Amino acid sequence: MSDNLAFWLSYLTNGKHLTWYASFQFTIFAALAGGMLAVIFGLAGATLKNSRFFALRLIGSTYSSIVRGVPDVLFFLFFPLAFEQAVEWFMASQVCTPETLAAQSATWPPCKEANWFLGTPEYLILASVSLGLVYGAFATNVIHGAMRSVPQGQLEAARAYGMSATQVLWRVHIRQMWVYALPGLSNVWMLIVKATSLLSLLQIADIVLWADRLGAPNYLSAVGLVHDDWRWRYYLVLFVFYILVTFASEKAFGALMNRAGRGILSEARS
Amino acid sequence: MTWFIEELALFAPAIVFNIYFAVASIPLGFVAAVFLALGKDSANPLISRLSRGFIYAFRGSPLFIQFFMIYSLTLSFNISLWKPLGLSWFVLHPLFIGPLVLTLNTAAYTAEIFYGALRAVPRGEVEAARAYGMSRRQQFRQVVWPNLIRLAWPAYTNEVVFLFHATAIVYFALPVIGLQKDVMITAKELFERDYNAFLHFSVAALYFLAVSLVIFFLFGLVYKRLMRHMPAAPRMRFMPKWIR
Repeated sequence: MSDNLAFWLSYLTNGKHLTWYASFQFTIFAALAGGMLAVIFGLAGATLKNSRFFALRLIGSTYSSIVRGVPDVLFFLFFPLAFEQAVEWFMASQVCTPETLAAQSATWPPCKEANWFLGTPEYLILASVSLGLVYGAFATNVIHGAMRSVPQGQLEAARAYGMSATQVLWRVHIRQMWVYALPGLSNVWMLIVKATSLLSLLQIADIVLWADRLGAPNYLSAVGLVHDDWRWRYYLVLFVFYILVTFASEKAFGALMNRAGRGILSEARS
Repeated sequence: MTWFIEELALFAPAIVFNIYFAVASIPLGFVAAVFLALGKDSANPLISRLSRGFIYAFRGSPLFIQFFMIYSLTLSFNISLWKPLGLSWFVLHPLFIGPLVLTLNTAAYTAEIFYGALRAVPRGEVEAARAYGMSRRQQFRQVVWPNLIRLAWPAYTNEVVFLFHATAIVYFALPVIGLQKDVMITAKELFERDYNAFLHFSVAALYFLAVSLVIFFLFGLVYKRLMRHMPAAPRMRFMPKWIR
């Protein structure tokens, strides 16, 4: 029994498994960075939507409706690829000479010098930004709605105290907005957490990719333990992992809402 | 102009797969969701716990992982079960697994919507029905269900659109067999051929947007019909406020 246990312990801590555990950092980074960017883009989008100028309002509402009208995975794939191409296109206009342009046989990039190689860190940052962009559109609507839920009386009181428009916005409006925005933002956070499972689509060796590699059937004893297709076990672990993250997030947001709702309307709680 | 029409034509066979996945999973998911919602509301603790657990698990985990998990699970039964029965070609086919997983997923999300609506059914109406001596079945058929579906319809419309969007990841998790490619795989392959990300992904987005609009239109018609007893039926907006 103890032999068995020792064997499984050593199997679960071999190099490949340790790499798998380490790859959780990508998922966690993408979720946190994506979440933060989503709030920032959401605030920016809501500001645009509330703007006095029609053009800015148009930009704000186009952003929130277009990004939400297409699947998240489409935008998630499109943004990093498009960004990479845009940078390469800009580089090409700077570094390419007629000779190098003529020497290039592939369709893209225009010349070899303009090629931009993206490793895991770059893709991770781009993935976080695109998560932020996609879910920022959801957050835009949440925050826009929350801004309108702040009681007018509060703002009037602030104005009556002689606060300027900027002061009213930053000291009263946005501070009180969070209580109304938190339930919606908690939903957006759950969506972001779930979307982090897509990182492997951008060549990042994340938890999903490693689960696939570790569980793949192995028939060569030289490579390691001989086993059948064990992928479903690894995916089951991930399945449970995500459920636990959701559970923990729910609890955390519940506590946060209770705290943020102190002294403000009781219906904002619950 | 012709190049644009050619581009659109390239995607036309692909969108059929997305529509197939959505159409195959929505009716089953709808029926399953009704039972799950009733199960969650059930007084029987076992049924209630099981339904709650199912809904929580499938709403709390990514669809992408669900695809991988269920596909690899079916794959591991291949030699012991499907092959002897001669069912491998069917059970392991993406056109079967895809709708299966999507059905489970949408059943959980829809059940949560229906459960919320079930709780919002006016208590007085149910009490009145009971006072009339209606049986449980009659109460559900005559009072609870009509209320429930009217309350849930806008959110359900939103869920259907989300489900349609979710069909975009089916072929990222399941094997692509021959020419059976959905919109995302088509866009990705075209991109890998000529690196024109803006064109191919925009056209793919256009297709998704167009079908989403059609869904909103059709479900809006149903909503109007459901609400025909009201003096002025509340109109459905293209983008309801709910998020999945």
